[in-house]
Amino acid sequence: MASTLADLITHRSLIATLAWKNIAIRYKQAYLGIAWAVIKPVTLMLIFTLMKTFVGIDSGDIPYPILTFAALVPWIFFQESASEGVNSVVGNTALIKKIYFPREIFPITAVATKLIELGINSLILAALMAWYGRVPGILVLWVPLIVAYTVLVALSIAFVGSALNVYYRDVGQALPVLLGLMMYASPVIYPLGLVKDKLLVQQAAGEWSQLLYTAYTLNPLAGIIDTFQNVVLRDSAPDFGALLPGALAVAVLLPLSYAFFKRAESDFADVI
Amino acid sequence: MQPAIEVSHVTKEYRLGALQSLKQTALNAGARLLGRRAEERPPFKALDDVSFSIQPGDVAGIIGHNGAGKSTLLKLLARISTPTRGKVSVNGRIAPLIEVGAGFVPDFTGRENVYLNGSILGMSRKAIDLKFDDIVDFAEMAEFIDTPVKRYSSGMQVKLAFAVATSIEAEILIVDEVLAVGDLAFQRKCFDRMEDLIKRQGRTVLLVSHNIRQVERLCRSVMLLDHGRIVALGGAKEVCTMFYERNDQKIGEQLRASASRQTRQATSSGEVELLSIRLLDADDQALSHVQHAKDVTVELQFAAHTKLSNVIFGVGVHTTDFLYLADKDTEDDGIVYDEVLPGQITVRCRIREFPILPGTYCFRVGVAVGPVYRIAFYAENLHPFQVTGRHSTRPQGFFPLELEWSTSPQILPAERGATTLNAE
Repeated sequence: MASTLADLITHRSLIATLAWKNIAIRYKQAYLGIAWAVIKPVTLMLIFTLMKTFVGIDSGDIPYPILTFAALVPWIFFQESASEGVNSVVGNTALIKKIYFPREIFPITAVATKLIELGINSLILAALMAWYGRVPGILVLWVPLIVAYTVLVALSIAFVGSALNVYYRDVGQALPVLLGLMMYASPVIYPLGLVKDKLLVQQAAGEWSQLLYTAYTLNPLAGIIDTFQNVVLRDSAPDFGALLPGALAVAVLLPLSYAFFKRAESDFADVI
Repeated sequence: MQPAIEVSHVTKEYRLGALQSLKQTALNAGARLLGRRAEERPPFKALDDVSFSIQPGDVAGIIGHNGAGKSTLLKLLARISTPTRGKVSVNGRIAPLIEVGAGFVPDFTGRENVYLNGSILGMSRKAIDLKFDDIVDFAEMAEFIDTPVKRYSSGMQVKLAFAVATSIEAEILIVDEVLAVGDLAFQRKCFDRMEDLIKRQGRTVLLVSHNIRQVERLCRSVMLLDHGRIVALGGAKEVCTMFYERNDQKIGEQLRASASRQTRQATSSGEVELLSIRLLDADDQALSHVQHAKDVTVELQFAAHTKLSNVIFGVGVHTTDFLYLADKDTEDDGIVYDEVLPGQITVRCRIREFPILPGTYCFRVGVAVGPVYRIAFYAENLHPFQVTGRHSTRPQGFFPLELEWSTSPQILPAERGATTLNAE
């Protein structure tokens, strides 16, 4: 891991250049340009808001549009960086076959690229909050840490996924489906508070309730989204109980995922 | 001194055929777990136990037929791929010019691509800033540098890519067939730049090329690969000569094998066709090959289908890559045949002291008829033949130079020098 970090530092200008390339390619000949990065979360927010008028989701004292948008900002960052990361190695076949540099640069660059779109979406969130007259407190300083943690989660998937994708392109096909499902298992449409209330307070599943809640929070995104909403909208401290199971899972999975990637990478050029 | 490149007992295997299905992979893994042998296709050895080392400042060439393992070897050296067995160690920064222009983005302008390609090849932004004008100058691209690369002609793209690739500062350069880029003038420039990198800047260079003359000229030592093994390793001249000989044989065999097809490719008006070509010595005995500087007779047998008037016959010799070396027709020698009657006709011409140096060559044959010498028959790539000489090393070029040396004031050659001069 330490040598990886050293590698990253020596190759930082390459990562920056490749990230700039990714962004520029995507928007070079698009009339709306970078605005496309915003269209996805805004559309989803509008749909969820419309849907909420039918099903009724308790969003507490926070207006639902900003609550769900504050969930969509980290979620879409995670979703896009994971799927971009998984396709990053296969998508750079020409480079893989011609030039050597540490292969983890590809998934890392893919994730780094998405940071820029995250920044843009955060600006939209700020604008929405201003519209609703809400000002974040000092706890908003947690946000960089949460983003860094989300990067690690996305990399856990991107490393193993991009390596497998070299051998079996099925991975790239299956991922959007899995991520789509995962969104419903994450507190994007509904706040985590509702799940917590149902399981921990009402004990809806009887003696299984605690176990179910832990299983739910094993999904790192549960903690991430909840914390993001807490520090940005509610001005309350992170709920470490919700963060812990997911963080443990990432602490185990990320090294495994990276080790798998490093073992597979020497064959990339031959198999791809 | 520590070698710049050291390759010891390297084997690279590839599994042939399609990727295994998930099911087969699972079955094989299961079989291995149970200690049974998994069903697998035998691997293909692209490199088979290859060992060599290259000293810093050395310029080494790698030659061999297609599929001999040259590119695989370069990929291993450039760390793009890893050997199945054995060890590759490279001391120093390596710049792989394996295919110039890998990673060019069509939507980007030339300027953006220079920066992108430069950083992919490991240059820092500052280094690119410093070299930018040089690169643009060399590629002759100043006018188009802010145009997207997708609007470039392919030649322009390659020129720009070559300029970027050769401006990397690395101790070891790996060059794979990149010299043949652009038009003739630019090729010349590329060649000069390579020579500059090699001869003046003292870099270690590994050059892979099918252009043997280039390898012979640039490299100090050459390695000949065949089917993944090193067949010969040594001085550029000996190894290249050996390669030429093997190549001549192979081309000769291929050409003879397809000889029947060749005659069908002939252009003929239908009035006359070529039946056979034979090479004869002074006693009319058929020859399998021609000896340099010995007389040889070419016998052409034609079948005329109608009565032909004003006929001239022509014969020429060309190399296997269609460089027309020499030709002559009967009219050049003041002969025009008034009338050729239908039926077979044999034309013989004697070549005095066959002047072309050893190698593999082919004939081309033509027949022209009528008042304006309309082509009635023409074919080339005919009857491949080998020219042999007395010398073990292959001389350069196609024709011998007969020279008489003198100096003024007169200097007497030393004994040793005299023998060298007399060797011819």
